[in-house]
Amino acid sequence: MLKLENLEISFATSRGNLHAVKGVSLEIAAGESIGIVGESGSGKTVLSRASMGLLAPTATRTGTVVFDGQEISSLPREQVRDTWGTGMAMIFQDPMTALNPVRRVGSQIMEGLTVRLGLSKEDARKRAIELLGRVRIPDPEQALKKFPGQLSGGMRQRVMIAIALACNPKLLFADEPTTALDVTVQAQILQLLSELRKELNMSMVLVTHDLGVVAGHTDKIAVMYAGEVVEYASTKDLFARMRMPYTEALMKSIPRLSTPSGSRLPVIEGRLPDPTKPEPGCLFASRCPYAQEKCRTQHPDLTTDSNGHQYRCFFPLGGAQ
Amino acid sequence: MNKLGELAKRIGQLVLVLFLVTLLVAFLMRLLPADTVDIMLPGQPEEFKEVIRQELGLDKGFFGYYFQWLTNFVKGDFGSFYFAGGSETVASHLGNALPKSLLLMLYSQIVALAVSIPLGLSSAYRAGTKFDRAVSGTLFTFSSVPSFAIGLILALVVGVKLGWVEPLGYVPMSEGLVEHFKHMVLPVASLSVGLIAAYTRLLRSDVIATLKEDYVTMAASKGLSDRRILWRHVFRPSSITLMTSAALNMGGLIGGAVVIENIFSIQGVGFEIIYALGTRQYVALQSLIALVAVGYVLFNVVVDIASGFVDPRTRERRGLR
Amino acid sequence: MDSVKKSFAFRLTVAWFALIIFFAVFGPLLPLPNWQEVFDDALSVTPLKQGHLLGTDSNGYDILSGIVYGARISLFISFTAVFLGGVIGSAIGISAAYVRGKYDYVVSTLFNVVLSVPNLVLSLALIAVLATNVDPNVPTSTGRRITVLVISLTIVIIPILGRIARAATLSWANREFVLAARSMGSKDRSIIWRHIVPNVLPAIFAVAFLAIGVVIVAEASLSLLGAGVPDGTSWGSMVARGRNDIEFAPHIIIIPLIFIALTVISCNYIGDVIRKQLDQRQAKL
Repeated sequence: MLKLENLEISFATSRGNLHAVKGVSLEIAAGESIGIVGESGSGKTVLSRASMGLLAPTATRTGTVVFDGQEISSLPREQVRDTWGTGMAMIFQDPMTALNPVRRVGSQIMEGLTVRLGLSKEDARKRAIELLGRVRIPDPEQALKKFPGQLSGGMRQRVMIAIALACNPKLLFADEPTTALDVTVQAQILQLLSELRKELNMSMVLVTHDLGVVAGHTDKIAVMYAGEVVEYASTKDLFARMRMPYTEALMKSIPRLSTPSGSRLPVIEGRLPDPTKPEPGCLFASRCPYAQEKCRTQHPDLTTDSNGHQYRCFFPLGGAQ
Repeated sequence: MNKLGELAKRIGQLVLVLFLVTLLVAFLMRLLPADTVDIMLPGQPEEFKEVIRQELGLDKGFFGYYFQWLTNFVKGDFGSFYFAGGSETVASHLGNALPKSLLLMLYSQIVALAVSIPLGLSSAYRAGTKFDRAVSGTLFTFSSVPSFAIGLILALVVGVKLGWVEPLGYVPMSEGLVEHFKHMVLPVASLSVGLIAAYTRLLRSDVIATLKEDYVTMAASKGLSDRRILWRHVFRPSSITLMTSAALNMGGLIGGAVVIENIFSIQGVGFEIIYALGTRQYVALQSLIALVAVGYVLFNVVVDIASGFVDPRTRERRGLR
Repeated sequence: MDSVKKSFAFRLTVAWFALIIFFAVFGPLLPLPNWQEVFDDALSVTPLKQGHLLGTDSNGYDILSGIVYGARISLFISFTAVFLGGVIGSAIGISAAYVRGKYDYVVSTLFNVVLSVPNLVLSLALIAVLATNVDPNVPTSTGRRITVLVISLTIVIIPILGRIARAATLSWANREFVLAARSMGSKDRSIIWRHIVPNVLPAIFAVAFLAIGVVIVAEASLSLLGAGVPDGTSWGSMVARGRNDIEFAPHIIIIPLIFIALTVISCNYIGDVIRKQLDQRQAKL
């Protein structure tokens, strides 16, 4: 369905060249669901937007993106656009800012239907009501007439899902779809996404900083750190035999239900390396409790073990196999 | 719940401002170095002046005079122009003058918006390009050139040297649309240049800010064309800023219209003001200036209400508080 | 920001502004004919002919001399009005925002009321009243007209700059260092002078440059309407006097128009640069 090969993305900034994504290769099969996990600043959002081609013109991208058998990374923007909405769709992080505040919910859902699918206004309306029912919005007819400001955060996120699903995309990117929501609403939205994915037989890329979010909802997980994939395995395998010290650290920072919502997560000590300054060794070395001399001087490559479990570490947890 | 209270408070404020504005104008007219009627009707017999004084209420002290004037003003009686032989009501003059001025300003606002909206959108869309810099530079220059300078030069070049259009006078619509517009071209052009510059600059910076919003990326991810995104998603929220600015610029436009009417011999309200001033008709002058101020205040109120209809955000803010 | 300061456009703007101020201050020392001297043998001479750099008008007055003298009058009127209006407006605006309460309410209502009469109409009304003689046959002297013009335009400027000063003060009056100074028992007067004024001044300064442009335009408009300075004494007045010659000797009005336009552009540009610099400084805080 989607195949990324050696994807590199950098931005020209006033402080120099910001290398946001470094040589990422991933593959997502039809109907499959993959989680991309990492701290903010790890390049996961940039990666998902770049896969779609949604980046600002200040970004430079190399490597290839193949969607549905078509190499879209070499196509002009106008042609890539034809896959948006109908082929690939995206759910954004913050439902407060990602819906246009001055347009009614109905017109924002119907827009894709009339423009991209060529539906008549009446048909689009029917479909919009159906979609709102699908994402479990009570009284869809009324909801159509509302402005985003009149809905709660959870309702807005449901509206955004309805918009993304409107044109039956084959692949759905969900960029931190629950971060801005309350804990109880988070679970509902994730459950809804999972059910809809199975119902519609979509592929899904779930981007999050929270390993707990991807645990029950994905087939595979890619962990990203400082623009690189540092661990890549099936969800089962990853949780059973974690290899990367970074993934372990992330695991410890999962919020429990006992932590009050809105409080800061227990963060990993130290900071992400400056993305404008390349470093010689392992990028996680300065924060890694197991780091040794070798880690600070040599950059580890992505290693694949016998189970197809990939990791980027000289001294993986559980020892090398 | 508090909507009614809010409304009452706003109406109260409006009435207070209108009251104070008319009081201010009446007070200004009392700064004359001598008795108003002595100045208005020099050389007339004292008995005649006394009759006029009583008619105007000038014998009843400042507030007596003011309230008599105000009562009449509210009823639509704006006083008269007095001459040695008799008088003409201000209302009869206004019947001729007001439509000319209103049309002049209406056309100028329409032309200004019609030019500045596409110009502002396209220069924001191409921000930083040569096109954008050329537009910005040209507009900065034109925003500083007073409308009378543009009017005089246009009258010279287009009216006199090229003889394309009639440089002077006013022809009502009833005497032929073509002639009407032929006479309006130059005055409207002179007045709208400054407005175009102001609106375009404002819209450009507003749109550049809006283009960075999440909901614009969201709209793009639906696969919509750039043109559609620009008009449907970006322009809508920016149009409120534009409306507010149109209201703010109205004061300058009224002032500009006074001069432009004078240059192009259009006998509008500005022309009447100058006429009243030249013939020392201070009672008529007071009514005319009060009328302009009241009109300006009311226009701002109308725009305020209208922008509330266009923008659900302000509507909510008002409704909720 | 330094790049803007070094840019060609900025240098040009400052140079033009300096030239105009030089005209205004040292005009009488320049080797030019008196602005009121009539050259009977040189009526409506186009620029660069017969020894007149900018030509003469239809009465035989040397236009360059008129421009140089007019710079003095136009700049005197606009600088004085903006300076007086700025000082009075800032005093009212800063104190209102600092004291708050009823005083502030009265001040902002009054500002709103004055601002609801369009600039030009307000100054027109003031001049109409203040520059009138009881006897219609006695013309008002040029000196009195200039005084009245300055007073009227000052009154127009007070609420414009006063509102800016009020808004700027409001945004500074609750900052930590002001609250700290208050809690240490500093007197209000010293807090205003030491902490508020230095921070509010740049904002007022930026708008003051724009206001100079506004006043130059207003002065010219009033002259054009016959309510300003008479007899070609100021730039606007030169335009007004040349209006009837527009068909056969357009340079008579085009030259003062160019001076008005370029000066207003310079004022706006300098004001714009100050404002941008201010925004950047604020963004850094």
